[in-house]
Amino acid sequence: MLKDFFLLAARNITHRKLRSWLTVIGIFIGITAVVALISIGLGLDRTVKQEVAKVFGVDTFLITGENFFQQAHSGDEDEGYQIDPVLIETIEGVRVVAAVREETGFVIGQAQADGKTVQGFLPIVGLSPELINEFQSFTGELAAEPGGRLIEPGDTTAAVLGRTIAERLNAEVGSSIEIEGTAFEVIGVLAEQEEEGEAGGFARMEISPSREDIYIPFNTMTQLYGAPDNILITLVRTVEGVDVDEVAARVETLLNASGGSRVETVTYSDISDAIGTVTGTISAFLAGIAGISLLVGGVGVMNTMFTSVLERTREIGVMKAVGARNGQILSIFLFESGLMGLVGGVVGVLLGLGLSGVAGVVIRRAFDVNLAIVASPALIIITLLGSFALGAFAGLWPARRAAKLSVVDALRYE
Amino acid sequence: MAQLQLSSVTKEYTLGKTIVRALRGLDLEVAQGEIVAIMGPSGSGKSTLMHILGALDTPTDGAAHIEGADLATLKERQLALLRGRKVGFVFQTFNLSQTLSAQMNVELPMIFQGIRKTERSKRARELLEKVGLGDRIKHRPNELSGGEQQRVAIARALANDPEIILADEPTGNLDSESGEPILALLKTLSKQDGKTVILVTHDPEATAIADRVVKLRDGKVVEERQNA
Repeated sequence: MLKDFFLLAARNITHRKLRSWLTVIGIFIGITAVVALISIGLGLDRTVKQEVAKVFGVDTFLITGENFFQQAHSGDEDEGYQIDPVLIETIEGVRVVAAVREETGFVIGQAQADGKTVQGFLPIVGLSPELINEFQSFTGELAAEPGGRLIEPGDTTAAVLGRTIAERLNAEVGSSIEIEGTAFEVIGVLAEQEEEGEAGGFARMEISPSREDIYIPFNTMTQLYGAPDNILITLVRTVEGVDVDEVAARVETLLNASGGSRVETVTYSDISDAIGTVTGTISAFLAGIAGISLLVGGVGVMNTMFTSVLERTREIGVMKAVGARNGQILSIFLFESGLMGLVGGVVGVLLGLGLSGVAGVVIRRAFDVNLAIVASPALIIITLLGSFALGAFAGLWPARRAAKLSVVDALRYE
Repeated sequence: MAQLQLSSVTKEYTLGKTIVRALRGLDLEVAQGEIVAIMGPSGSGKSTLMHILGALDTPTDGAAHIEGADLATLKERQLALLRGRKVGFVFQTFNLSQTLSAQMNVELPMIFQGIRKTERSKRARELLEKVGLGDRIKHRPNELSGGEQQRVAIARALANDPEIILADEPTGNLDSESGEPILALLKTLSKQDGKTVILVTHDPEATAIADRVVKLRDGKVVEERQNA
């Protein structure tokens, strides 16, 4: 019987093609916008997460000063924090730890031909050799210029210079420079990195190599400046097969209990959640705006349905006279408005997916970001059901009016 | 009890601010299989009487029984069932759905009774056959003449095999040539199939097929005459 009502409703819609289509347009514009924006939002979410996953892998987490994210947002100077990297290595599940700390140190360069030397306060970065070997996804592909090499385990008074610094200090591979009174051998000059390499990274803001820095081994730094109390960032890689989040929690608890600085661990899932919150908020906001147009579309359906009820008053009277019950009349009209919603939904989903595809291409061209547009089946199904529900809901009031018409009045209606 | 029995029925309704007393203590009994013609000037309460006989409306006062059921005690849903199963309506202006084919128009009352598609279309075709439109089942109302449309309407009225046919000026919009077969059809329904036919009419030819003619004035029966 419902199928028959459905067919009757469909016939009513096709009988007034132009008006039905105009109503459907009102719906599908809204649906198109919602579907396109959500698809783009989902694509954005997935793309960003993929990028982060590339850097992080599944087995790595960061240790940062407390409120790392807030600082990153507010642009406050990062003060650095105090931990003992050696302690972390003893924690169960931890495989490798690499830390980065920075000081400003008094540096004397290689003597020039005329016997003069350049000296001054320069940024000194102490980093664990493991950082170079184990965490390339964070640092990018680091390399020394030909003839030199990077810091390796076992190095002590060895320094790698950024290109600019090397020139200012008049230093080449094999030169000797003095940092805080200690002589260092320049073992390499950092090769220029390709800008924005494939491993474009989130943590790069802390540890990306710079042409203006002097790099020395982390342990040597400890000897020069004492126990690390100004660590910028620590990277920890876990043993294969353990739960990264569990290890990270363990590390965080232990470090915070050991009386050093308050620190936070950041795992892939933390970042993924944070990204999800941001992209989710953006998507919801945009979809909400698009939703307003859906509301307008719904009012359009309501308007059309009221007109339809009015026009067919006499027909409703006849249907009731031949035995239609109120509920049956209600069903027919709800199907009619729901069907208009559904047609709007189908057209809207198709156009929305098309539009988001186009948007993906445009974004790719304009921003050089490989945005993967996501055509989520759940989104499509929910949208189609939702558009039918929207239509039916918009038709509820007119349909109730139709159902409640008095037979005699309806039959008299001219 | 007679098939249709009205005793001291009054019906009042408000039209704007005035109260219209359409029926004022009307008594009427109709037996199964009878053809009754109801006549009277406009405003005499003919239409209101038809509405009550067809369970479209309930009396303000007095008792109306259709097939033994007291209208006053029935809920909206039960009234709808009564209309759907016991009564068939034929209107002066046909009132066919313009968007539906002749067959679908006849199927409509059956849809509301939940009858299955195969059974419905078989019965619709049989009924259209019966009213002489076997070759017109796919036509839309606007492709049919007035007489043909009224025959579709009669087929529709018969869809759920009701006991009672209510025809409100069935020939009022037809010339006598196309009106005649309609009246003949109604007479057959009564005499062959035992249906009760109530006919509101001004047409002397229509009254000729009636077993009994009832005249109304001011909401009351003022004259009853048995046809020979």
